[in-house]
Amino acid sequence: MIADFLSYGFVQRGLLSGSLVAASCALLGVFLVLKRLSLIGDGMSHVCLTGVAAALLLSANPVYVSVPVVAAASLGIMKLTQKFKIYGDAAIGIVSAAGLSVGLLITALAGGFNTDLLGYLFGSILTVSKDEAVLCGVLLAVVLGGLFFFYRDLTSACFDEPFARTRGIAVQTVNTVLVVVTSIAVVLAFKVVGIFLISALLIIPPVSALLVSRTFKQVLWLAACFGVASVWAGVYLSFVFNIPSGATIILVNLLVLAGAYVWARLGGFGNDR
Amino acid sequence: MSSIIEAEKLHFAYVRVPVLEDISFAVEKGDYVGIIGPNGGGKTTLLKLLLGLEQGKGKIKLFDQPLAQFKDWRKIGYLAQKSPVSQSRFPVSAEEVVLMGLSDRHGSGVSLGELKQVHEAMQKTRTREYAGRIFHDLSIGQQQRVLLARALVSNPELLILDEPSTALDPESREMFFDLLGELNAKRGVTILLITHDTGEVGKYISKFMYIDKTLVFYGTKEEFCHSQAVAEKLGAFAQHTIDHLHNHGHCPLGCTCGEAEK
Repeated sequence: MIADFLSYGFVQRGLLSGSLVAASCALLGVFLVLKRLSLIGDGMSHVCLTGVAAALLLSANPVYVSVPVVAAASLGIMKLTQKFKIYGDAAIGIVSAAGLSVGLLITALAGGFNTDLLGYLFGSILTVSKDEAVLCGVLLAVVLGGLFFFYRDLTSACFDEPFARTRGIAVQTVNTVLVVVTSIAVVLAFKVVGIFLISALLIIPPVSALLVSRTFKQVLWLAACFGVASVWAGVYLSFVFNIPSGATIILVNLLVLAGAYVWARLGGFGNDR
Repeated sequence: MSSIIEAEKLHFAYVRVPVLEDISFAVEKGDYVGIIGPNGGGKTTLLKLLLGLEQGKGKIKLFDQPLAQFKDWRKIGYLAQKSPVSQSRFPVSAEEVVLMGLSDRHGSGVSLGELKQVHEAMQKTRTREYAGRIFHDLSIGQQQRVLLARALVSNPELLILDEPSTALDPESREMFFDLLGELNAKRGVTILLITHDTGEVGKYISKFMYIDKTLVFYGTKEEFCHSQAVAEKLGAFAQHTIDHLHNHGHCPLGCTCGEAEK
C-alpha cells in the first residue's frame, strides 16, 4: 500500500515540499518560540489571506503575491513593537486583524472564490507545483545556511538580546532576517497545512523538541525531525483514511507533543548531559 | 592619562519623563567607580546609554571612539541586573553561555583557544564544576557567577556591572568583590559598578558617582566622605550611607578622614 502511495508523482512532490517546509518552519520556530514571538506565524497566516485573495482576484500565483504582502506585514509588526513600544502580542493582533479584514473584503468584493480559496484555507499539499517545490528547497537551504554561518549570533541574540548587542552582534538585522524568512516559510506552508494551521508548524515541533532536549543543537535537529515526520505520517494517514491532510499533519504533531511531554515527565534524557 | 569613557551632556527621557539630565563625566583607565543613588535615579539607564542599549541625547566616547563607531566590543564586559532567562527553559549549558562572551566567530565551531579562555574564566569565577549543566537549572546565584564568567571571558579592559552581587550568598559575594578588586589592582581593568554594598565594596573602589537624575557627585571616595556639601546635597540617603561608613570605629571605605574618632 505504501509503495502504491509513493508511486504517484504528485504525492512525491507533496511529501518533498511538505518535508522541506516543515523542517524550515520547525527550525525558524525554535527561535520564535524562545523569543516569545510564536504567534507571529498566526498573524502572518491571517495576512496570507489578503495575499491569496488579491492573487485570485488578479489571476496571479498566490505564492508570489503573498510573499511581499506577508513580509511587509511582519516588518510592520516589528516596527509597531520597536518604534511605537506596543507589546508584541498586541502588535501581532493588530496586523493579524488588518490582514484578515482586508482579505475578507477583497473576497467579498470579488464575489467569493469558491473552491480555490478553500484549498488555501485548509491546505492542498498534493497540488504543490514543481516551481513551488524548488522554492521550498531554496528556503530550507537559506535556513540551514543561516544556521551554519550565524549559529552563535542567532543563539546569543535569542538567549540574551542586550548582551548580544554589547558583543557587536547586529541584533536588529538578525531579528529582521528571522521574521522575513519566516514570512516566506509561512507563505510556502499554506499549501501544506492551510492558512488556518500554519502557525502550528512553527510552534508545535519546537515546543516538543524543547521538552525532551538537553542541548540547543538537539532542539534544532529534533524539531526538524518532528516536523518532517508529522508531514509524512499525516499525509499517509490522510491517504489511508481519506481525511484532510493539513489537519491530520497537525494532529500528528499534537500526538508527538503529548509523547514528548510524557517522556519529559518520566525523566527524559536525565538531568545532566 | 587616557579616558576610557567620556560622557558629555547626556539626557534621556521615557515618553517625555526625564530620567537623566545633563550628565557629563570621564572615567580614566584603572578607575574603579562605584555608582550609587536611589532606586529610579537612572543608574541602570546610564549604563545602558554607555553601552548603546538605549538612545538618548549627548555624546559618548568609548576608548576615544564615538559610541556609534565603536566596534571593539571585546574590550568591554557587561553584566546586567537581571538574569536573561528567568522564565523560559533555554537549553544551553553554562559553558555555552560563557562562550557567548566571545563573538569573533559566527558559526557553530569552537576553537581550542576559545575553549581555553572559557575554562579560565570559569576557573576564576569558580563555575567549572557545573560547566556542562543547563544554565536554566542552576540557582540564581550560580547563574550570576556564570554570567560574570561570560563578562570576563574576552579579558576586557572595561567591566560594566549592574548590581551584580544581589543574588549572591555572602561567601560568593566576597569572592566576587575580591576577584573584581584583583582584576582592577593587578591587571588595571577599569570597572563601573552599580552597587548598594558601599561598605563591602568600598575597600576597592577609587571613585564614587552619585546619580539621582542628575550627576550629584563624582569624585574620589575621600572627597565623598569629607564633603559636607555632599551630605547637604544628598539628603537622607547620603546621610545614611555616610553614617554607615563612619559608625564602626573605622571607615570601611578605607579612607583616612578620621571622622570616626571625632
